[in-house]
Amino acid sequence: MKRMQTLLIPFQLLTYVLMLLALYTIFIYAPVEKTMGLIQKIFYIHVPSAFLAYMAFFITFIASIFYLYRKDSKWDTVAHCAVETGVIFCTIVLITGPIWAKPIWNVWWTWDPRLTTTLILWFTYVAYLMLRRAVKENQRANLSAVFGIIGFINVPITFFSIRLWRTIHPVVITSRGLNMSGPMKFTLIITFIAFCFLFFSLLLSRIRFERLKTRIEEINEIMDDMNLRK
Amino acid sequence: MDNSIYLFAAFSITWTVIFIYIFRLFRNQKALNSQINKIKKTLQKNIELDDRHS
Repeated sequence: MKRMQTLLIPFQLLTYVLMLLALYTIFIYAPVEKTMGLIQKIFYIHVPSAFLAYMAFFITFIASIFYLYRKDSKWDTVAHCAVETGVIFCTIVLITGPIWAKPIWNVWWTWDPRLTTTLILWFTYVAYLMLRRAVKENQRANLSAVFGIIGFINVPITFFSIRLWRTIHPVVITSRGLNMSGPMKFTLIITFIAFCFLFFSLLLSRIRFERLKTRIEEINEIMDDMNLRK
Repeated sequence: MDNSIYLFAAFSITWTVIFIYIFRLFRNQKALNSQINKIKKTLQKNIELDDRHS
């Protein structure tokens, strides 16, 4: 726990520096797109957020498998914290998407396959968090792990929806790589790295908090048993 | 095409969401720290009582 804390502070400082660098590249370095204009810059937060939401749910999927296999509560904590962080990033995707869509597609929302599957994905993991609050403590970890594994089916469906069905959502990553100019590609890479640091910073802080909370609960239980608390 | 208001809205909402989450984490951490302090005080009190008895 102490080693994690010592590593977390420089990690968070680096996240802060990278975020400032990302903002510089987005607003100063990256060129303005010819057709869409300034609004295209939303892309630099929209795409990394979507990718990190998928990654968070993948972490939940792996941690849930490990939990069911080893029955170690630390995997349940990782899965739970990853869902919470993933939902934050998925929320950002669902907010920035319609804001970008309004001036370009002339609608805030359309029931396009990518948009619909992303909304379903968000509802799935919000349901995961609600389930954790609703069920009894002895069933919580098991049920959440099963939900975390089954719920992950939505992630590849959402990712491949723009290839499987007819959609108006643009395809950024093609078989030839990223379909954009050099400076835009560079900006996306920097923003992506910065968002990855932000994601892990939030996830590690959340895991650390959850472990600390569990320890305090254990100490309180011991103190209750010993009649130390008044 | 000037869509700067949409750009401003997207970035400000994104940062607001992130800051609200960080603030929530920070507040919960603070509550946990106060619980640790409470435990510390109780233990110190008990140690003092034990010392007096012995």
